Amino acid sequence: MTHEPYETQAAVYVLGALDGEERSQFEEHLAGGCVECAEAVREHAETLADVARDAPPMIPPAHVKTDLMRRVSATGSARATRRRSWLRWAAVSAAAVVGVSAFAAGFVASRYEARIGAMARETARVRAELHRQEAELRDRLAVAQGVNDLLSDPAARVVALRGSGPGDEAWGRLVWDDAKGGYLVVANVPAAPAGKVYELWTISGGQPRPAGLFTVDASGRATHPVAPTRSPVDVFAVTLEPAGGVPAPTGPIVLASAK
Amino acid sequence: MAWAAEDLIRQMAEGDSDACGRFYDRYARLVYPLILRIVQDSADAADVLQEVFWEAWQAAARYDPARGSPEAWIVMRARTRAIDRVRAVRRRGETFVAPLDEAMAADRGDPAQRAADRVVVADVLERLPEHQREVIELAYYGGLTQTEIAERLKQPLGTVKTRMRTGLVRLREIMKPAT
Repeated sequence: MTHEPYETQAAVYVLGALDGEERSQFEEHLAGGCVECAEAVREHAETLADVARDAPPMIPPAHVKTDLMRRVSATGSARATRRRSWLRWAAVSAAAVVGVSAFAAGFVASRYEARIGAMARETARVRAELHRQEAELRDRLAVAQGVNDLLSDPAARVVALRGSGPGDEAWGRLVWDDAKGGYLVVANVPAAPAGKVYELWTISGGQPRPAGLFTVDASGRATHPVAPTRSPVDVFAVTLEPAGGVPAPTGPIVLASAK
Repeated sequence: MAWAAEDLIRQMAEGDSDACGRFYDRYARLVYPLILRIVQDSADAADVLQEVFWEAWQAAARYDPARGSPEAWIVMRARTRAIDRVRAVRRRGETFVAPLDEAMAADRGDPAQRAADRVVVADVLERLPEHQREVIELAYYGGLTQTEIAERLKQPLGTVKTRMRTGLVRLREIMKPAT
């Protein structure tokens, strides 16, 4: 494999300016384990850090650190460090004063207790996270199987939804069977503002009927199961509505299928 | 007490929140002006700054010194988050307010704003020829890709690519003796 084009691309890649096919090709090449390119990427990242260091430093607002430390302390253990420095102090004293050695041993024990406590908490956290991920995967699998079943059903159709208004770049696909219902898959949908939610509508004979609420993940995607309707659907549309949903659409249309 | 930044990240990985505070003290002043220059709004910049260090705290265990210095690590995170933020604002802005190009043109026309921008622009970029500096700034501070820059400047994509690559290689040469 030749390097010429990739090596010059490393700098542009690190800058974040490589796009389209060039970007995916370069990433593929990098993932292929090219040592020269990995080194070039590393060097250019250092150069960009140097560029940042070259600008005059600025002191950020004080509340940023206060807020950050509040979040961090809720997850970390500031006490661990404090104990460590106390321990050092205790160890020095113990050399001079014999009576203190028992005291120091107490600190050692408490330090390890704290460690074991932290490890137990961490284990519990990891276990909870695994359970959550497992449940999420099971949900996703059920959706994937549902979509798969529908796709192999000759009566099913795929309906395209185009973005509009606040969801201009959004798009969606609906795998749909009038008798069985289906699944809506959307992407590039902006996160709903606080207190708002997306609501899907099935429109038959000019009459919109609510077909469920959904939110999108951080990358703007969502999959939403849709129950079958009594009459054939002419148009599917998604609007932005107050949390909890509404019986008839009130907000802007974010996605809609063609008539 | 002077801790090596790598040690601070290792302590953060172990859950030491004091180390996180020290890591912030060391790097917040370095990345804040960069974030501010990219997002152009001090409330947004403060938000992004907190997010960057929060994510660094969470990702500390994955930091690999062999893949780059702590500075490069945090600067890369800061640029990525700040650019994500502008892109999100831009997406909203395109549907609700004026298109980006108009906003940028208005921005460019305001000498006070331009002067303020200049203050936080790295001197080293000033040492590049104007046409190379322009494309690198649009990517570095504006988060634009080559194709977007070509459209913005109404220049052929090939020209933009050449200027950017030449500029970046030159930048590395300028930086090397300093480090």
